[in-house]
Amino acid sequence: MDNVLSWLVFMPLVFAVALMFLPEAQAKAVKVFGLIGSLATFGVSLYALSLFQSGTYHFQLVESVPWVPDLGITYKLGMDGISVWLVVLTTFLMVICSWFSFYIDKRVKSYFVYMLVLETAMLGVFLSLDLVLFYTFFEASLVPMALLIYKWGGDNRKYAATKFFIYTFAASIFMLIGIVWLSNLALQATGSRTFDLLVIQSAVADGSLWAGAMQAQPVIFWLFTIALMVKCPMFPFHTWLPDAHTEAPTAGSVILAGVLLKMGTYGFLRFVLPLFPDVLPDQIPVLMVLAVVGIVYGAIVAAMQPDLKRLVAYSSVAHMGFVVIGVFSLTHNGLMGGSYQQLSHGISTGALFLLVGLLYERIHTRMFKDMGGLKAKMPVFAAIFLIIMLSSVGLPGLNGFIGEFLALFGAFEVAATGQFGLGWWLPLLAGAGVVLAAVYLLWMFQKVFYGPVTNPVLERIKDLKAWEVAMCSTLVLFAVWGGLYPATFLTPMEKSIAAARQMAINEPGKRPSWTDPTLEIGENGDLVRVQEDREPLDMGRFTVASTVSPANHHAVVPTEVSP
Amino acid sequence: MEAVGTQMWWILGLPLAGFLVQAVFGGLVVRTMGAKRGRTLMGWLAFFAVFVPFVLAVLVTRTLSSQPDEARLVMTTLFDWIRLQSLVVPFELRADTLSMTMTLVVTGVGSLIHMYAIKYMGDEKDFPRFFTYLNLFIAFMLLLVLGNNLAMLFIGWEGVGLCSYLLIGFWYKDVANAKAANKAFITNRIGDWGLTLGLFLLAVLVAGAMQDVIAHGERWLSYDVLLPQMAVVVDRHPTLAFFAALFLFIGAMGKSAQFPLYVWLPDAMAGPTPVSALIHAATMVTAGVFLLNRMSPLFELLPGVQVIVVVIGTVTALLGALIAFGQTDIKKVLAYSTVSQLGYMFIACGVGAYWAGIFHVVTHAFFKALLFLGAGAVIYTMAHEQDMRNYGNLRKYIPKTFGTMFVAWAAIAGIPFLFAGAYSKEAILGAAVNFHGEEGSLIAQIAPYAGWIGFGVAMLTAAYMTRMMMLTFAAGEERWRLAHEGAHVEQHHAHAHMHTHDDPHGFFYTDDEMASQHEEHEHHHALSAEHEPKEVPWEMWLPLVVLAIGATLVSGLFLGAPAEIASVFGLAPHALQHWLYPAAGETPHAIGFGMLLSIGTAAAIFGIAYGYFTYHGKKLGENEGMDEGKWSGFRRAAKNQFGLDAVFSDGLVRLGGVVGAVASWFDKWVVDGLVNLTGIVTRGFAGTGKWVQTGYVRSYALLMEIGVAGVLIYAVYLWMNRGVE
Repeated sequence: MDNVLSWLVFMPLVFAVALMFLPEAQAKAVKVFGLIGSLATFGVSLYALSLFQSGTYHFQLVESVPWVPDLGITYKLGMDGISVWLVVLTTFLMVICSWFSFYIDKRVKSYFVYMLVLETAMLGVFLSLDLVLFYTFFEASLVPMALLIYKWGGDNRKYAATKFFIYTFAASIFMLIGIVWLSNLALQATGSRTFDLLVIQSAVADGSLWAGAMQAQPVIFWLFTIALMVKCPMFPFHTWLPDAHTEAPTAGSVILAGVLLKMGTYGFLRFVLPLFPDVLPDQIPVLMVLAVVGIVYGAIVAAMQPDLKRLVAYSSVAHMGFVVIGVFSLTHNGLMGGSYQQLSHGISTGALFLLVGLLYERIHTRMFKDMGGLKAKMPVFAAIFLIIMLSSVGLPGLNGFIGEFLALFGAFEVAATGQFGLGWWLPLLAGAGVVLAAVYLLWMFQKVFYGPVTNPVLERIKDLKAWEVAMCSTLVLFAVWGGLYPATFLTPMEKSIAAARQMAINEPGKRPSWTDPTLEIGENGDLVRVQEDREPLDMGRFTVASTVSPANHHAVVPTEVSP
Repeated sequence: MEAVGTQMWWILGLPLAGFLVQAVFGGLVVRTMGAKRGRTLMGWLAFFAVFVPFVLAVLVTRTLSSQPDEARLVMTTLFDWIRLQSLVVPFELRADTLSMTMTLVVTGVGSLIHMYAIKYMGDEKDFPRFFTYLNLFIAFMLLLVLGNNLAMLFIGWEGVGLCSYLLIGFWYKDVANAKAANKAFITNRIGDWGLTLGLFLLAVLVAGAMQDVIAHGERWLSYDVLLPQMAVVVDRHPTLAFFAALFLFIGAMGKSAQFPLYVWLPDAMAGPTPVSALIHAATMVTAGVFLLNRMSPLFELLPGVQVIVVVIGTVTALLGALIAFGQTDIKKVLAYSTVSQLGYMFIACGVGAYWAGIFHVVTHAFFKALLFLGAGAVIYTMAHEQDMRNYGNLRKYIPKTFGTMFVAWAAIAGIPFLFAGAYSKEAILGAAVNFHGEEGSLIAQIAPYAGWIGFGVAMLTAAYMTRMMMLTFAAGEERWRLAHEGAHVEQHHAHAHMHTHDDPHGFFYTDDEMASQHEEHEHHHALSAEHEPKEVPWEMWLPLVVLAIGATLVSGLFLGAPAEIASVFGLAPHALQHWLYPAAGETPHAIGFGMLLSIGTAAAIFGIAYGYFTYHGKKLGENEGMDEGKWSGFRRAAKNQFGLDAVFSDGLVRLGGVVGAVASWFDKWVVDGLVNLTGIVTRGFAGTGKWVQTGYVRSYALLMEIGVAGVLIYAVYLWMNRGVE
């Protein structure tokens, strides 16, 4: 497979098209076929993972074909450390979702078609290296998701779907304006029109792109950031999320929490840090404040929800706040933590929605008042729920801890060095968010599982079936694996994250460039110039020629002057 | 020494393996082998998963003690838990004198309690689940004390909190237990918030301090790298270091139930009694003392934090002892007594006598575990009755339990020479009243007061423990035989109807809230007037005897006898101090040993005499119990913790409710309201009020899909012709 990434992106679409020719009446066959489609895609993503090299920050498996040559639009795909795990997370969660979707009993065929189209769009988002191509996939992912909510959702689904669609679509328009503007600047800087992210970024890296347009930088920064903030979602742009989550069918909620929200934070890492380095110090305080507000506020509001699914939805607002804090701390610990939190949130919150869905299929209610005492009735379900809940709480030994730990570490480094004018309140409040997470999640667990059984429906409830246990166990496996041996996931992303950090904090000319193969991130995080005898197929192995810019991982805390 | 590394991994691995075996096979074994045999097998398996590590810990300790002082340290790494360019946290263990002392306590007392629980929990339907949690707890506790860096400590710290949560809520069908479990976990989380912040703050400071020496791939959260930097850190950043230590101390306060974060511990008595003995008396709650010892190179440089530690410790010691007077539930007396004794340990750490804190951890582990297990035996034999007002004259029926508990009582009351508690108390209070600090500094001024208050607390301790023993064991009436309509049945039986009939533990005490809610319901009382208490089986009294031996001379004399006594027996004085802190020398005592002994003994005798003469030979009063009278106002106030719990817990919960309600309202009507308002306004301008209903989304979606499909087809076309281009 030469074009492994194209195969990966369009494999689900191929299955979706093929699925259309299956008869609607054959529901079982449709479901099996849909599952096979997602399994095949998962397989391709694992193949891509096996080809991936952790030693370099550059894009790998790059495919590039002119698409609209007159406008400088290319069909360009590539994978690096920032996207590699998001791709695998997407394909993995899609397998889980297709598996769960055997519960779907109406309009099965179109359901699976939408799911597979959605998968193509999501993979396209994470793998596109052309801004127009990215935007195309970014918007295309909205449609099947909105339709899933609209057609298979709960009672208030139409309102939720409309709100989700219009809100995120309207916000994305800002990004489109920003993309076009950026391309115009690239035209001025390089002399040719291009939407190629790599070319634009290298113009930012050597300082040519912003040289004559510094005053435009904050504007374009905010055009991108607004769209991504809505997607994350960050306070105060989060209110579409509880509605969409609550009304979406279970698989939709899992995908929404597990993957779609990550598009926002992925956009921060992929575009905002590399493309707008000069305005970051001025604008970061705003984002940090909103992220911390989101952490505390999301947790408080979550605690007050009478609806299990809404509670988990608000917990997403809080958890994604840690991603933002980590990313914009611009420290290596924080960035790694934020990136890791993306994955662990995908696993643990995705799993929570899945478990809520399993419960919903049994009792057809999401309200706490109808629950209680389930531990005695469903011991296996309770055990799995407990582990996943604790992962969400951030218990060490499970995956949720690693991301929060490192992101908080980054926040501390920011506070200690007094960067961005941010003080100690930042880590103190973010840390309080960890306590609040325990509060609302434990209350949730108590209301669902402890106490006597009061709802007569629960008397007849059955524990998980074997296939459901198998399905949930894979998620539990990743929660434990990610907590005990996070190196599996941290190492492949490290070089690209380190490069993104240096793109954001270094002076022009000392920034890593995605088009310059002689630049590389060394083992200790320094940006280095390498000897040019690298094998193209073995990018991870190189000999350092000189250091361009040291990593400066450990912030120097200003020494107090003793009185 | 080479074997030590492997032995340490076995010490940690066996309880973990035990946990997995219990979790995976426990239910299966009990089902296939039958309840009785299956439970016995699984129970003993769980016991050996803790006992074998104890034997190994003894071996490791012997190996260490054969080495010279400075060589008593073995570190071993399994893998890198976190490995980043900027941060390396190995999964590593450390055997040194401090960690092995704690390991011996955890596995030694732990295995005894496991043995005890085999019978105590023998009728429990969920038997394997109990031992699953218990083995897991031991594993986390060992990780906490054996880990060689603050991150390992934090994993263990959170892990034991989790097990505590699960075990407090073990009988989850009762909402009150679930609430008690939540309260414990959340209060602990407040402490953990402090611990996390302290940990990070320290890490950031150390990284800054080591900037010029730190190399790539250096682990720098590990104790052996971090602790030597403390002097530099405090010198460079006195204020930040102060806060780092303060935050670490907040963590210790949460876990070790110090004022005002003590509120979870009394409620934690909702868990089964072996859990109270193991987690909430002997091991987990002493983790804070361990932390202060481990981080003592930081704390001893910061007199400001020491002041706070001493004050908090003193307040806790006094408050716990006062509240214990008002309790009628035998386990609650012991719970507040634990709070009070933990206060002593913090006084020790605050005045710099860190070894004395650990010394008291050891002796307290013996006598308090013994008291809890003894109380458990009493509860077991009294059909799960926990109210002391329904006991009386039990020494006649359960002499072995009485005998061993008598030893524990003597130890905690501070009877000198023979019993351990007197030695460790003397070490703590002696260090406090003889504090040698910078002349005129705040800590030097308040430390002696802490010591004198400590002697007062010792007197109170002797008094309330005597009260407990008199009410439970002393001759006089056998009060469960009396009719008690409306008397002292109100609080512990009232919620019994909550339990299903297959639950053998319907009668454990929960909390007053539940009781008051269901006051009007009928009382179920398994404890009838004809009840004949029987001595407990050997699996239960054998651990009591072993603990009783530990609570006497053994732990006291050999570990911490002062020079005056040690010389009589030809022993080393303050052996534990030399073992833990070989560099520390004997400090001169202004108030000598003889004086301290006299004061301590006088306090003990006075307290015991008060307890004895107040409760000797008197009948139980009509309504409130025999200690009604001129003290009743105080007693009632003490029973309700002087209103502190209401302020701290209920007040906080209520405040949280208000904040939450405001936030939810704000979210719905302001944040989301603006969004919806925008939508309505836009729709108004568009003039097509019905577009939502007419499938706007669907038609738009269709357009989008067509567009996307066209673009993609064009892309595929280009891709297929890429060679031509």
